[in-house]
Amino acid sequence: MTINVAQAAILGLCACLSSMPGLGGTTFGNYTLGRPLIGGLICGLVLGNVPMGIMLGAAVQIVYIALVTPGGTVSADVRSISYIGIPLAMLYVSSVGLDPATAEAQGFAVSMAATVGTVGTVLFYGTATINLVWQHMGLEWVKKGQLKKLYLVDMVLPWISHILCSFIPTFIMCYFGSSMVQLIKDYLPMDGLAMKTLFTVGSLLPAVGVAILLKQVVSKPVDFLTFFFGFTLCACMHLNLIGCAIVGGFFAIINYNIRCLALRPAAAAAGAGDDDEEDI
Amino acid sequence: MKKLSKKALNHSFLNWFYGHLTCFSQEHMQTFGYMTAMLPIVQELYDTNEEQTEKVLTYSTFFNTEPQVGSIVVGITAGMEEARANGEPVDDETINGIRAGLMGPLAGIGDSLVVGTLLPILLGIALGLSGGGSPLGAIFYILVWNIAMFLIMRFMYFKGYELGGKAVEVLVGEKANAIRDSIIMLGTMVIGGVTASWINISTSFQMLGGDGSVIVDLQKTLNDVYPSILSAVFVLICWYLLSKKRLSPVMVMLILVAVAFVGVLLGFFNPNLSY
Repeated sequence: MTINVAQAAILGLCACLSSMPGLGGTTFGNYTLGRPLIGGLICGLVLGNVPMGIMLGAAVQIVYIALVTPGGTVSADVRSISYIGIPLAMLYVSSVGLDPATAEAQGFAVSMAATVGTVGTVLFYGTATINLVWQHMGLEWVKKGQLKKLYLVDMVLPWISHILCSFIPTFIMCYFGSSMVQLIKDYLPMDGLAMKTLFTVGSLLPAVGVAILLKQVVSKPVDFLTFFFGFTLCACMHLNLIGCAIVGGFFAIINYNIRCLALRPAAAAAGAGDDDEEDI
Repeated sequence: MKKLSKKALNHSFLNWFYGHLTCFSQEHMQTFGYMTAMLPIVQELYDTNEEQTEKVLTYSTFFNTEPQVGSIVVGITAGMEEARANGEPVDDETINGIRAGLMGPLAGIGDSLVVGTLLPILLGIALGLSGGGSPLGAIFYILVWNIAMFLIMRFMYFKGYELGGKAVEVLVGEKANAIRDSIIMLGTMVIGGVTASWINISTSFQMLGGDGSVIVDLQKTLNDVYPSILSAVFVLICWYLLSKKRLSPVMVMLILVAVAFVGVLLGFFNPNLSY
């Protein structure tokens, strides 16, 4: 498997659309194209091996299932994860001859994606910094009453930021990816300490993603019981996630009804005396 | 009596839906997306360029929130702008007070409810459909997420427009809290399920007897205690480091690299690789 100019260009374009301040918008860009599972599908389509793309993308997705960017702090860059990490992992896995369904192949994809995703945060800050220039130009135009130029500032000029910070880095990394992956293969034997560590890191990193999400939903210690309820459903009772979501939804409805019951006395006390006698 | 046309409102909504973060910077964040979204509104309500410019500049103050849930704020200000054009006493301070006041709470709701709960549920279901490299999960996610978010954002925008300045009371209340807590409860359970189903941390540590037979197989022992317990333990350790020790995610990842290195040296982890 190799990546030619056209393929690298398509991946570069996807990087422009999918990044955090991305040109695809938040819903379709960051939260759709930027998700590694979708990135896996697109990389699979572009490189001609959809099952491999999906399998590796799905493995990477677990690490970043909880990737939120509160207040514009980015801990991992989705354009690098999905459109540099996954293509390079696909090149490596196919050149080594690993089966993408194995834990080894998926572990490598996760390690690779996590590495470029962390380094790639530089690209996020680069894009945001170049956008400052357009915004300052835009504010001047607006003050002069040239309101239509807002569209230029908001939707056209950021392409320049993205060509510099998304397209070119992705293009170069993917286009020369084959030789880079070859280097890794030659100099790092699979049973060496470095590779073993890299693979192990790959299996540990998903815990960080879930923990970030857990941090957002756990507000009191008893919430951990809710967490372990879901965990037990899947680990001990072998439900799949749809089943787990349905059981969870059922309990959520019970919880909502109880909360509403608790609200009722306050409401009744507030509107005392109206229809109370009919109820009794 | 000026009334905003459906066309102007739709145009404004679409500008926000697409453009709220396209020109993001650390200084202004979503400000330019906001101004672009208000442009069709202002253009329809006011005729002269001077008036339009003045009103657009109202929105040049800093704005940042969870943009999907935040579309309700844009709707609210569209409603307020309409009221202002009809001579009601709405000034820049009122509008910017509401924008600044809703930014924080909506970011909290949006991050935990949409990005923290709905997104992982959909992704979790999509991952479940991706077994064996099937593209079904990805296609499911693309369709469901985008259609759902478009409709939710559109609903929020027009609800905000309808309510105008009164929306603030609806967004903070006991009933809103009950709904949010219940959805978060569902989310917490699904996260537990995701941990059990999608994180696979196991040890290769074994104690061998004199004749090479296995005396203690640690992973097997652990599975008898509680299946996948190592995955849960690692998630809890990461949670502890993130929220109790207040480390950044990157820092926690670096700690895990160290743990992996030591673990491999001691033979606790061994991925059994070969070419």
